[in-house]
Amino acid sequence: MFITDIRKEFYEVVANQRVALLVASDIDALCACKILQALFHCDQVQYTLVPVTGWQDLGTAFLEHKEQFQYFVLINCGANVDLLEMLQPDDDSVFFICDTHRPVDVVNVYNDTQIKLLIKQEDDLGVPSYDDIFRDEDDEEGGDSGNESEDGSEPSGKRRRFDEGAVERRIDRQRAKREWEARRREILFEYEQYEYHGTSAAVMLFELAWVLTKDTKDMLWWAIIGLTDQWVHDKITHMKYVTDIATMQRHVSRHNHRNEDEENSLSIDCMRISFEYDLRLTLYQHWSLYESICNSCYTTCIFKLWTLNGQKKLQEFLADMGLPLKQVRQKFNSMDMSIKENLKDVIEESSNKYGMKDIRIQTFGVHFGFKNRFLAIDMVHATAALLESTEKDESNSDNFIKALDSLSRGNLDRLHSGIDLAKKKLIAIQQTVASCICTNLILSQGPFLYCYLMEGTPDVKLFSRPMALTLLCKYLLKAFVHSARNKRCKLLPLIMAAPKDVEKGTVIVVGIPPESETSDKKNFFGRAFEKASESTSSRTLHDNFDTSIIELKTEDRSKFLDALITLLS
Amino acid sequence: MFCEKAIELIRELQRMSDGQLPAFNEDGLRQVLQEMEALYEQNQTDVNEAKADGRAELIPSIKLRHCCLLRNQRCLTAYLYDRLLRIRALRWEYGSVLPANVRFHMCAEEVQWFTHYKKSLASFMRSLGGGEGLDITQDMKPPKSLYIEVRCLKDHGEFEIDDGTVILLKKNSQHFLPRWKCEQLIRQGVLEHVMS
Repeated sequence: MFITDIRKEFYEVVANQRVALLVASDIDALCACKILQALFHCDQVQYTLVPVTGWQDLGTAFLEHKEQFQYFVLINCGANVDLLEMLQPDDDSVFFICDTHRPVDVVNVYNDTQIKLLIKQEDDLGVPSYDDIFRDEDDEEGGDSGNESEDGSEPSGKRRRFDEGAVERRIDRQRAKREWEARRREILFEYEQYEYHGTSAAVMLFELAWVLTKDTKDMLWWAIIGLTDQWVHDKITHMKYVTDIATMQRHVSRHNHRNEDEENSLSIDCMRISFEYDLRLTLYQHWSLYESICNSCYTTCIFKLWTLNGQKKLQEFLADMGLPLKQVRQKFNSMDMSIKENLKDVIEESSNKYGMKDIRIQTFGVHFGFKNRFLAIDMVHATAALLESTEKDESNSDNFIKALDSLSRGNLDRLHSGIDLAKKKLIAIQQTVASCICTNLILSQGPFLYCYLMEGTPDVKLFSRPMALTLLCKYLLKAFVHSARNKRCKLLPLIMAAPKDVEKGTVIVVGIPPESETSDKKNFFGRAFEKASESTSSRTLHDNFDTSIIELKTEDRSKFLDALITLLS
Repeated sequence: MFCEKAIELIRELQRMSDGQLPAFNEDGLRQVLQEMEALYEQNQTDVNEAKADGRAELIPSIKLRHCCLLRNQRCLTAYLYDRLLRIRALRWEYGSVLPANVRFHMCAEEVQWFTHYKKSLASFMRSLGGGEGLDITQDMKPPKSLYIEVRCLKDHGEFEIDDGTVILLKKNSQHFLPRWKCEQLIRQGVLEHVMS
């Protein structure tokens, strides 16, 4: 059931209890977890934090902790499956789910006792009404047995008439039941066919903190990072992002109110969050401007930097802005002040000439100390790179801990190492995109585009991780759309496969919806993958919380694809 | 060469990693003291000779021996002092009763010094907190809050806390627990205090 008063029905319930936090491995979940931890520290609520990477992990973690804990808080996992059936908990376990995955499973919505959803009901959920899906079996059976007893007690003379009447009624009831079941299947199919995301979990928990008036700037910053993560990884529409940014802006102004006074200004070491209408060049403040332009999806795709022509255009662009190559290639912090001052406006003006209308994006930046300025987008990339780092001997939970640490202001060296990893990742992505487009690795299979990264491809290890592969997928589709001549191809979704585990012989397969300006980011590949896997009995593992990411045995790849093609044509 | 025995003693201490106390090298100490005595005797005779006969050419050798004596003294005092510092650290590490193998490595005077130190520390602790007493050897750092956040560094299995509830300590899980329960495990290296 949905929780209406988050303070009374969630926080006050767990405040005096011990809680188990099961947190998924994405940045939004990490930020939400930080906010909740900070609240728990304030009120000295004892908790245990366990990172989980998929359904199997969740099941194991639950089994290990179910004896000791009664209250479980699940962050960014658990809303889109029938949780009670999957975990088989005891009757007194209570689950609080704060998840962005939609659609929320109907059993979770209508369970009144054990499942509490920390989800805003204003989010356009479209949950089918109760009567359409669940039906009490009692009425029917009562009717039948009543008729039978009637039949039994009636004298034989009238029996034949009553029999006919009873039989007719039974036939009617059965027909009605079949119709109802058909309608139910249809409604459920429509409800569950597309997967999408709702409001960020970090924003939800920040609002809880705000209701408790225990919100701090740190928590606000984490909420902003959570929201930006949804935008960077293309989980929400642009409209929703802008709306949520406006909400965050209200909170930011509220927190910044103290700085208005000239006399009592805060020390330079205090944290300041500010609204920025900044450039869409990833990590440009921590890199050189040239590198950033060459490795940001937006600029690369519009300039088509994998072609010679594109490189020339880039040089023209820089010349047009009057930026000397020497300046542009050195570290951003060492650029001349005169250039840095009007950089954003200069770039915006020139970008308009080259067809880049949205070079600037609304976001927030944080500033503490003399040297430390970060944009929310930078932090998302850094933390994501840490979370999915493919160094040897680092398990998923090690990476989780490192990424969680990097979000605290005190661990700047961790954050900087994350930024370095993110730079490497972006360079790898751009090179892979360039090579895929130049060697025409993207094949049109009819209802979708398909690309397979061979085992020997450089940096292919980076792409064995879901978020990195999804990012690559998104950039590749954008680049393809900009470079393809065929109009029809531009409207197709993309499926990408990359080797995941060489020893086990599996590949990771990701599907993303087609690229368009007004895309609603609804992904139907989850259901499609399930059906294709069933029909060909391929060995697949649907372990990720996002149903559009699966693991598949390499040998089954071709028959799985064929099944998908037939399914989606 | 002179002073080599003294350096041996110092090297012996350096070889043992921090905190470990090697056995008291009674023999080495005695040898150094004997060397010092011998040097002193020689110096005495030479000084008398120099004063009596006015033989100035003996003065450099007197000076040399004097320097060796000072060096030996410095090495010996450094050896003894470093051992005392290690023994002091043992009180904080192990508590007031030392394990037998450690005590075996201490000489009688060191044991005596240890008892005095213990008494001193105990009376200091008793005087804290307005006469009530406070056991400062319990926490590794001054405590700032009742509950601390800890991260598990290795799989430790189940762990029971005061109210009977059991917590599963798995690698890389984080917990928010009462401080006094975690201290022991933090010292053992199973848990790590996380400062946010």
